[in-house]
Amino acid sequence: MTDVPPNEWLRAVDALKTAGFDYFDWLGCVDEIGRRDCFRIVLLVRNLAAKAEPMTLNCWLPRDDPRIDTVRTVYAGAAWHEREIAELFGVEFLGGDSRRLLLNPEFEGTPLRKDEVLAARTGLDWPGAKEPGETDASANRRRMVPPGVPDAAVWGDRDDSQPAAEPAEVAESAGSGRMRRRRT
Amino acid sequence: MSLPEPSHRWIRLIEPACTSCMICARECPSWCISIDSHTEPVEGLPAGARERTRNVLERFAIDWSLCMFCGICVDECPYDALEWVGDVTQPGSSSAALVEEMVEKSEATSR
Amino acid sequence: MRTHRDLREFPYNGLVSFGLDNEHYRGVMRWVDWYGDGSLYVLDVGLACCTLEFDAAAPTAAGRLPSLDERARVAIVISGTVTDRLAPAVAAVIDGCEQQAGRRPVVISFGACASSGGPYWDSYAVTKGVDQLVAVDAYVPGCPPPPEALAAVLDQLMGRVAS
Repeated sequence: MTDVPPNEWLRAVDALKTAGFDYFDWLGCVDEIGRRDCFRIVLLVRNLAAKAEPMTLNCWLPRDDPRIDTVRTVYAGAAWHEREIAELFGVEFLGGDSRRLLLNPEFEGTPLRKDEVLAARTGLDWPGAKEPGETDASANRRRMVPPGVPDAAVWGDRDDSQPAAEPAEVAESAGSGRMRRRRT
Repeated sequence: MSLPEPSHRWIRLIEPACTSCMICARECPSWCISIDSHTEPVEGLPAGARERTRNVLERFAIDWSLCMFCGICVDECPYDALEWVGDVTQPGSSSAALVEEMVEKSEATSR
Repeated sequence: MRTHRDLREFPYNGLVSFGLDNEHYRGVMRWVDWYGDGSLYVLDVGLACCTLEFDAAAPTAAGRLPSLDERARVAIVISGTVTDRLAPAVAAVIDGCEQQAGRRPVVISFGACASSGGPYWDSYAVTKGVDQLVAVDAYVPGCPPPPEALAAVLDQLMGRVAS
């Protein structure tokens, strides 16, 4: 894995292709919120003729202004992956294809960002919130919270006197992947 | 070679084994299991024993319109109260008709 | 207690018609003569995994819709997840089928996704059941349902007892 700064991205990818890595495998994005305030663009390409290990390039973009050159001029197949990343993460690919790919034209939001909460889960009564021996989930107990739903004190039922939670805090609260007890 | 009988088509509750522990409802990725229960004191304890309670299952329902038949509930139940059966799931004329109530309602638990 | 049914909205007001009754679409839309006697024609809207079970259940390959006896019935099976992006196209196909057949088809929601969104009910991109687009006559649970479940629903629809 090699890190490449955004201003050298296109040049580095072009150099890889020239060096024989002519098979585009995939281009992805990782939301590194909570670890670094960045999106990590990851490219994996292969040199099939040489039967060597694939090459992976990382490019770290600031989360508040994620822009990177398109590489679809080097690997035409990257255009689809870039459209998907642009749509679901909100990354801008300069010179890229900006058309919608998978989501409804009226859709608003960037759902794969970890601080974007899956609204459907927060809007429902989770059947698992009840305790053994309960029929109506009483309000005051320390409830179990399902995966994907942030702690209500962080997002959803936050005290009005407090400012909104930082994205990293929301992401951490929603993204544990485990069910856990409410903090309060 | 004969094929085995189909078996992973429907999930049945073995009601006497269920302790209302809520583990299946919590582990279900589709949120399709709904459980209601209450507590009752345990009868017939020896004199001087401290009071104990037990869970009484009132309602156990699976919404088959959501279930993806992953079997996590069957695997996770500590009391083996859920089992796979080979019957074909029944269609319904409405989405709500696909919610299967698996506990017989008695007078005491009707709501 | 609020369930996923309380989350559902009806974003589409009525079906969208793209005039799917011309010669070109007659060739594209494929129907299965289910009992081989022209009494029931079934069209699969194959969106995801459930369509493989439709294929297993279908007794013959699908073909163009011939001119129908006036007592013949038609059924549309929605097999798989309806995404919000694809929902208008699904609605258009259903409407086109009605135009092509000249009668209201029976609509069967086949599998959990078509019935409610299934395991993807909480997705930002999934229509929570094809009944958001069209009235459904039969909901078949399963993920996927076995092919026998589809055959049984169609037998029930036609008043036939399975042999």
